[in-house]
Amino acid sequence: MHIGNARSSYQADEVMWKRPAHKGAMLLIILSLLILPFWVGPYHLMLMSQLGIFVIAIAGLNILTGYTGLISLGQGAFMGIGAYTTAVLATGYGFPPWATFPLSIIMTALIGIGFGLPSLRVRGLYLTIATLAANVIIVFAIRKLEWLTNGDRGINIEPAILFGFSIESELEKYFVIAPLALLFVLFSQNLFRTKIGRAFIAIREQDYSAEIMGISLIRYKLTAFAIGSAYAGAAGSLWAYFFTALTPNQFNLSQSILFLAALIIGGMGTTLGPLFGAVFVILVPETLRAIAGLITPYYPLALQATAPITEIIYGLLIIGFLIFEPMGLSAIWARIWRYIDRWPFTR
Amino acid sequence: MTNRSRRDFLIKTTGAAGAAALGSFGFPAIVQAQAKEWVIGASLPLTGPFATAGQLGMPGIIDFIAMTNDSGGIGGKKIRGILEDSGYVAIKALANFKKALAEAPDLACYFGDSTGFMKLVAPELNSRYKIMTGSTSFASELANPSTNPYQYVSGPTYQDMFGILLQHVADKGGKRLAFVYSDTEFGKDPIAYGRQRAKELGIELVHEEITKASGAEVQSHVAQLRRADPDFILMHGYVTGVWPAIIATARAFGMKSQFLGTFWAMEKVIADKISAKVGDALNGYMGVLPYRYFYDRKEAPAYQELDAWNKANNEKYPGYLVTWYLQVRMTMNLWKKAMEITIEADKPVNGDNLMTSLASIKDWDSGGFFGNPVSVVSNKIPQGRVYAYNTENKLFLPKSDWIQV
Repeated sequence: MHIGNARSSYQADEVMWKRPAHKGAMLLIILSLLILPFWVGPYHLMLMSQLGIFVIAIAGLNILTGYTGLISLGQGAFMGIGAYTTAVLATGYGFPPWATFPLSIIMTALIGIGFGLPSLRVRGLYLTIATLAANVIIVFAIRKLEWLTNGDRGINIEPAILFGFSIESELEKYFVIAPLALLFVLFSQNLFRTKIGRAFIAIREQDYSAEIMGISLIRYKLTAFAIGSAYAGAAGSLWAYFFTALTPNQFNLSQSILFLAALIIGGMGTTLGPLFGAVFVILVPETLRAIAGLITPYYPLALQATAPITEIIYGLLIIGFLIFEPMGLSAIWARIWRYIDRWPFTR
Repeated sequence: MTNRSRRDFLIKTTGAAGAAALGSFGFPAIVQAQAKEWVIGASLPLTGPFATAGQLGMPGIIDFIAMTNDSGGIGGKKIRGILEDSGYVAIKALANFKKALAEAPDLACYFGDSTGFMKLVAPELNSRYKIMTGSTSFASELANPSTNPYQYVSGPTYQDMFGILLQHVADKGGKRLAFVYSDTEFGKDPIAYGRQRAKELGIELVHEEITKASGAEVQSHVAQLRRADPDFILMHGYVTGVWPAIIATARAFGMKSQFLGTFWAMEKVIADKISAKVGDALNGYMGVLPYRYFYDRKEAPAYQELDAWNKANNEKYPGYLVTWYLQVRMTMNLWKKAMEITIEADKPVNGDNLMTSLASIKDWDSGGFFGNPVSVVSNKIPQGRVYAYNTENKLFLPKSDWIQV
C-alpha cells in the first residue's frame, strides 16, 4: 500500500516511474507489445500499426494543444506533409527510409513553424480557425502541385527497405512502427521534465504571466508548433510506407478533427492520453462493427441498418465520455492506480 | 448521478468494450476452420456522402450470392460474402479488405467502394495478395493490365464515356462545349482526355466549372455557365447531388444548353425525384449507360430472372432495380464468369488465373445487361449507349444504338 509521498530530492520527484508497480505495468505493456503480434492475425496487426501511427500524431498534437494550450486543427494536414515528403523523396529521388524519415520530420517542423506564426497574435478559437485554414491550404497545395505530388491521382511508394529487408508484411511494419511510437511517447514524457516542457506548460496556464517570468513566447510557441508538427511528420512518413499509396483525401480536415477528438477523449496534457485516445478511435468502431457483424451472417441486409447505427452509437459514446469524464480516459486510468495504491483504504 | 455511479458506468462500459474487442481478436481462426466455400468480400459506402448509392447497390451483391447459391454455387461450392460499410473512406475500405483476408485468406474476389480504395490497395494487391478485385469505379487508370493486373472495370471507363458523349456532340453539330465536374479524383478522371478529344473533334471547350461533389453553391456555378453560353454541358463526378440542381437552376435561368452526364449521374430514381419537385427541367438530359435500364428487360433474360427472383424473395421490391444495383451485380457476374472459365479449364482458382480467364472473355452473352456481346479489353468492357430522360413517362430512353468504343 502506498500511503504518502516522502520524497527527499528534486530528482526523486522527477523519476518517471514513481512506484515499482508502475514500472511493472510498463514492462507488462512492452512485453505484450512484443508477444501480441505473434498471436493475432494480419488484420489486427494492421490495426495495431495504425494505432502506433495515430499515437505519434496525437502525441504531437498533445504537445501543442494539451501542454502548450495552442488548439490545432491542422495535425492531419501536417501528417500529409510528412507523408508526401517521404513519397516524393523516395519515388522521385530514390532516398532510402533512413533519410526520408528525418527529412520528413524536418520539413514538417519547418512548415509547422510557418503556420504557427499566427499563434503569436491570436489565441483560443481564433487560433483554431487559423490552423483550420492551414489544413485547407496544405491539402489544397498537395492537390494542386501536380508536378510534384501527382495531385488527386495520388502517389505510390515502394515498401521501405531497412538493413536489406523489404518491410512488406504486417508483422514487419508493426515491428518498425511500434518501437518508434514508444520512443516518441517517451520523448514527449521526458520533454515535460525539461525547461522547454515547463515553458510550454507555463504558456498554457497564462501566456502573459509566462512572458513576465522571462519565457519568450515567440520562441516557445514556435518551438511547440515545430515539435508538434515534427511528430505529425514522423507519423506521416510511417503512414506513407505503411499504406504505400497516398491521395490528398487521406489528410483532409476530418483526419485533424479525429486526432483532436482522440486527444480530448484520451486526456489532454497527459502522457497516456494520446495512447488511450488512439485506442478509443480505432478499437471502439471496430468493436461496434464486430458486434453488428454478429447479425449480418444470418441476415446480410441488416448491414444497411447496423452500419449507420454503429456510427450513431460511436458518436454517442464520444459525447458520453465527454459528459461523464471530461478529463479523458487517462483520468480513469489515474483513478484506477490511485485505487490500487491506496487499497484497502480507497473509497 | 453520483461520482461513484459515474465511475461504475465508465468502468463497466470500458470493460464491456474491451471484452468485445478481445473477443474479436479470436474470431478469424474460428472462421478459417469452417467448411470450404468461395468467399468474396465487399466494402460499400452504406454511410457517408454516397450512402444512397451504397445502400441501394448492396442488395446487388447479396442477391447475387443468394441466387448463385440457390442454383448450386460455382463449381459445386457455395459462396459466402463478407460485407462491410466503408463510409466512402478509402482507408476504412482497405481495413475491411484486410479484415476479410484475415477471416478468409483464400478470398476469391473483392469488391471495392471507390477509385480511392482501388488505388490504395493496388500496390499490395500486385505484390502480395493477388486477388481479383472489382469495384464501383470506372476510373480510366484501373483498366490497365500492366499497372493494375488484378483490377477490372465492369463497363467502359469514364474516358470511354466521355468519348461516346463527345462523339455525340460532334454528330449533333455542337460547337461550344463546357465541362462541369466535381473537385475530386472521380470528377477529374476524364477531363484531360475530354479536352484533347474535344479538340480533335473540332469542338470548342468554352468553359470548365469545378464544383464540390455535394452541397455545391449551384447558383454561382450556373451563372458562370450562363455567361459562357455553351451548346452542350458535360457533367461528371456526381452521384445523387449537384447535377440535378445545376440542370434545374440552369433551366430556371433560361439556359437552353443540352446537359450530358455519365453513369453515376444517370439514375432514374434521382431524376424522378427531382422532376417531382421542379417539373420538366430534366427533360432531355442525356448520358451514357453501359447497361440497359432495368425496365428495358424484354430482350434481357438476366433482368427477367432478377425480376422473378425479387418478386419471389423481396417483399419491398418496387419492380425496378437501380443502375447502382446493376453495376454491382454485373461486377459480380464478371467474376462468376471468370470463375467458371477457370474451373472449366481445371486451373486453380487464384487471382492470376481468374484475371487470365476474364481477359479471355470474348463475345459473351451477358443476358442483356449489355446490348452487344461482351468482350473484355484491357480489363474493361468498352461499350455503352446514350440515353435521354423523358419527364413525361419518367424513363431514360435510348438515343443511340449500342456503341463499341
